[in-house]
Amino acid sequence: MRRTKSVNLWPNINEALEHSLIVRLNAQTVFTSDQHWLYPLFELEDFLKHSELSTSDLFLSDKIAGKAAACLIVFLGIKRCHIELLSERAIPVFKANQIEFTYDHLVDHIQCRTEDLITDKMNISDAYLFLRKRAGRVQGLSVKMENVSVRIEEKLVINQLNFDLGRGEQLIIHGANGAGKTTLLRSLLGFIPIVDGSIKIGDYFVGSDLWKVNRSIIGYVHQENIKNNFPISSGEVVQIGLGKSRISKSETDYRIEVAMRRTGSFHLIEQPYHSLSGGEKQRVSLARCLCQNARVFLLDEPTSFLDQQGKDGLLLLLHELSQNEAPTMVLVSHDLQWIEQLNWPRKELKGGRLC
Amino acid sequence: MLELLSLTPIFKGLIVLALAGLTFPITGVYLFRLNLLPLRFMLMHGAILGGAMALALQINPFWTTIAVNLLLVLFMAKTSRSMKTDAGQISTFFMVISISLAFIFIYKFNVPAKDTLTLLWGNLFTLSWTEVTGIGLFAVLLAGFQYYFRRQLRALFFDREIAFTSGINESHLYYAVVLLIAITVALAMKLIGALLLDALLLLPPVIASFRARSLRGMIIGSAIWGGIFAIGGFLLSIATDIPASSSIAALASLAFIIIYLIRKK
Repeated sequence: MRRTKSVNLWPNINEALEHSLIVRLNAQTVFTSDQHWLYPLFELEDFLKHSELSTSDLFLSDKIAGKAAACLIVFLGIKRCHIELLSERAIPVFKANQIEFTYDHLVDHIQCRTEDLITDKMNISDAYLFLRKRAGRVQGLSVKMENVSVRIEEKLVINQLNFDLGRGEQLIIHGANGAGKTTLLRSLLGFIPIVDGSIKIGDYFVGSDLWKVNRSIIGYVHQENIKNNFPISSGEVVQIGLGKSRISKSETDYRIEVAMRRTGSFHLIEQPYHSLSGGEKQRVSLARCLCQNARVFLLDEPTSFLDQQGKDGLLLLLHELSQNEAPTMVLVSHDLQWIEQLNWPRKELKGGRLC
Repeated sequence: MLELLSLTPIFKGLIVLALAGLTFPITGVYLFRLNLLPLRFMLMHGAILGGAMALALQINPFWTTIAVNLLLVLFMAKTSRSMKTDAGQISTFFMVISISLAFIFIYKFNVPAKDTLTLLWGNLFTLSWTEVTGIGLFAVLLAGFQYYFRRQLRALFFDREIAFTSGINESHLYYAVVLLIAITVALAMKLIGALLLDALLLLPPVIASFRARSLRGMIIGSAIWGGIFAIGGFLLSIATDIPASSSIAALASLAFIIIYLIRKK
């Protein structure tokens, strides 16, 4: 079935589009894209990050939009749009978010697998994150453990364990004390050799020569219980993330500042690290991982030494990271109440296996 | 006092002590940060073994002690890593085996024990120009190493595992640090003796740590205090006709007490 309806609220933009996507501020074109699928909208997102335009003042013209594009348009904060070919499934999304829209042609649905995958249970943020992952616009790398076994002093702590995490996905591993959660993380990091199976991070097998060169793709945040009184400022801790890369001082300072601002810890840059609270140390450690440009974050019992305020702050920060940089994250915790709030997929480590 | 400096052994002693004072405390910082304090006992005993071997085989004791210490730290680091045991504990074993071997050499080769044990007091004024040049080059190497690897060293001292995940080859860096410590201890024993080398190696970092807020501050502070103790102690020894090693240790101890009391107030 194909229906056509045209509403001439903005008659000058109803002509056939020269580009896949055009964005105007008043009558002036400020952005165009000729990409396909959802990529023009992602390009627009990148453009808006570096411009000072107010998204609510913009007018967007798109050749085709389904439910997925509607979710992205809402997420970007666009309030007015014209679509040449609009899917009916997009209309509830626009209406629920008070978007003023017009169209040339209306169809039941667009033949696109992505549109079918956006469920009604997803809110706009969930849909945005899902679409980013689907578009491959996430920082995270896949993590795959295949039949992995680890022995600690003759005891089989991890037994033929398997899991497969896609790019930008998250996983919480919980379990009783001594179940092997930390051992699992340490084997992912390459600290503990595995006796059987394989671990693959992105394209690299852990322990291989290629991995040794590229192992900084994994950022590690361990339990902040170490009584380390080493005289080092928080900024210097973040700088550790740069490893042995030799870059100019201005570039170094810039990358440290960006990472610390991102985790809300820039005001601590001059503070001695050992004088920080548990929550502040976690923020600085996550900034270190961002500065390192890590694409997989491994967090070992991050709430162990945090008060309620620190736990709430960390919850918010991890949520933001999963929405923006979207690294693949594996978090180990026995704090069931806290991981409940985090609302990530979770698995229990029991008898050396995930269940 | 100045005319004494025209005497070659005294002039050489001043140059060497100044260089050592300004750079050797850097390894003191390494010893503290890597919790390797027991290591220097192994190295002191290793130097005695080197001295005994050199006297027994009639070779240069200066280079022999350095070679023995280098071998000891390599064995120690290797054993510690393969046995996954604390380096401090392993160094206790090597300390015992070193001194036992030293006494075997002394006994079997009829080496006068008192000659070997002069290492405990040091011998600043018997340095050859080759040895002075060697110490000078080592001082430059040490300062250069610290400058070039400052970021990686900071990561290593902060947390070895974090350094590893940041892409730093912390294992190689650790070996390099331990080797530098070994050479420093061997040289410091030659300069001011085994019993007082802590005054040059450890007291400057301890005093610097009172105020330091970063590794950079600690390194610079240690080098300044080390330089003051070495040069000040040397001049004091000439002025008062006491052994240079004792005057350096006395000056460092006095400075420590004064700064400690000021901080306490």
